[in-house]
Amino acid sequence: MSERTTHDSAPSSSLGDSLADGWDDRGDELPPADWGRRPGARRTGTVWLFALIITAMAFGHAWLSDDLTGQAFLAWATIFTAISFQAMPFLVFGVALSAALVAFVPTSVYRRFIPSKASHAVPVAGASGALLPGCECASVPIAGSLIKRGVAPAAALTFLLAAPSINPIVMIATAVAFAGQPEMVLARFTASLLASVVIGWVWVRFGRTDWLRLPSQSHDPDASKWRVFRESMLHDIMHAGGYLVVGALAAATLNVMVPREWLLTVAEAPIVSVLVLAVLAILLSICSEADAFVAVSLTDFSPTAKLAFMVIGPIVDLKLIAMQAGVFGWRFVARFAPLSLAVGLISTFLIGALIL
Amino acid sequence: MNRIAQGFTLVLLGVAALTSTVPTDLYLNWVKAGFGPFLIAAGIVMVGLGVLVIVAEVRGGGDVSDEEETTPVTAEASTSEQGDGHGHDHSRAPWVAWLLLLPVSAVFVVAPPALGSYTVESTSGSTGPPPRDEGGNSKFNDALSEAEPGETVQLDIQAFVMRAWIDEEREMADREIELTGFAVPNEEGEGWYLARLQMACCAADAVVNKVLITDRPAPEADSWWTVQGTWVEPEGDLYDVSEHEFAIEGMEEVTDPPDPYE
Repeated sequence: MSERTTHDSAPSSSLGDSLADGWDDRGDELPPADWGRRPGARRTGTVWLFALIITAMAFGHAWLSDDLTGQAFLAWATIFTAISFQAMPFLVFGVALSAALVAFVPTSVYRRFIPSKASHAVPVAGASGALLPGCECASVPIAGSLIKRGVAPAAALTFLLAAPSINPIVMIATAVAFAGQPEMVLARFTASLLASVVIGWVWVRFGRTDWLRLPSQSHDPDASKWRVFRESMLHDIMHAGGYLVVGALAAATLNVMVPREWLLTVAEAPIVSVLVLAVLAILLSICSEADAFVAVSLTDFSPTAKLAFMVIGPIVDLKLIAMQAGVFGWRFVARFAPLSLAVGLISTFLIGALIL
Repeated sequence: MNRIAQGFTLVLLGVAALTSTVPTDLYLNWVKAGFGPFLIAAGIVMVGLGVLVIVAEVRGGGDVSDEEETTPVTAEASTSEQGDGHGHDHSRAPWVAWLLLLPVSAVFVVAPPALGSYTVESTSGSTGPPPRDEGGNSKFNDALSEAEPGETVQLDIQAFVMRAWIDEEREMADREIELTGFAVPNEEGEGWYLARLQMACCAADAVVNKVLITDRPAPEADSWWTVQGTWVEPEGDLYDVSEHEFAIEGMEEVTDPPDPYE
């Protein structure tokens, strides 16, 4: 919290003092519920709360662990933990990269590399997605920091979509999974890039800035770069991480609850099967570096349907929706997710018809 | 969520990542072994960042907060908040950040085991695992292609299933093969399965591979076994086979199961 500790050492300071002091310090924050309370008390309260949480977990570990034997619950817990842990390194290092962009790279660099005219910046951003390895968990905070650095929102959003879809690791994973089917790798690259760039252009034409909850922060120019780095990292982990957990909860629940047999019955219908795999990609929220292996295992489905799974997954899924809502706000997500889905599907059908 | 709570959450999350990788192999129940070093690194970063935040806060926090001034949130942006009323500033995190404690308690309280017979039974019925498209079927890169004739070959169940499904040369016929996996009762017919889950990245994308065994009584579900025996060569087109059968010559229980996934 932003209170000063002088309050701790000077418990006699009056309410008025702490109000006035807090006012100076806190700029916009103003949580009225906190006013006038001694910050030290609340800080101690937080420490006690965590002591309680840790004790509860210790007791849970000692007494409860052996009693938790429900098979379905354990499978659910495994998948939830698996998704959380799989994404954790990507999240932490993606957030570190985005914090480094905020703290150490001056704005002028972006101005130089990314054209200022939004419609030109979009393809550049799409192509640069092919260079930076990172999964979708990482690209959401990076896109947020790009916008903060003055990159046109449409270009940052194109990067947000392209980076997890066509980065080198994903392309290699796809080539490994679809060994002997290079056309699948080509189709994935083309369809994803096309979708990202088109969505960017649509945003240039129709997008409105006030849909985006622009991360408003102007760092004190005197702040040390390391401190800016540390603070943006903390901020991004807390925002993106919390929503990642929401996505993991949803994906684990669906993974355990929805029998795969249901899906196989619809695999026969040509267009329906494409839509079904697109929906499955949204629901399962698999990391884009792994989704090719899942796609290839859905052997009952047509190549175009598998392509839809791989094109839609990295640009729209539950985990991403939750994370984007955390970084950009729900007003944005309510427009961006359907747009991504529609353009992604059109691109899939087009490229699927041309290449596959 | 105030800053000190954020710090504690990060430390706990980092400790969870480190406990499941360094002193134990718990993480192998959830993700591939290759994630280990990255989880350790991420754990160290989170613990470090969390400690920094807590220390800065306990020691005063004033110098940090001074630099964490943010520009006032516009009225418009505020209305788009989800009602918890936190401005988009740096020093407080939204309520949703509390959920980061869920993976922590999952690790310490539940300690989820590897997926096992429940997943095998509930995901794939009797259809067996789908074969992976491997382009040509001549390019097998497994232990069988390197082994001397007559030697017992240790195969992954996944490699066995793939061979059984698409190896038109039927190189596996009459070879002594050793498989390791866990037992799954067959609800719909005779015999039981020896199964192993194969994952690309984490348990969420696990694919079931299993072989049917009918010449031995079913062991307890989820117990681990190493079996020696031969492939029961099916008649007709390999691709039409729905279950791959294995004839056992010897089996012994594995008391210390390996990495549960292939």
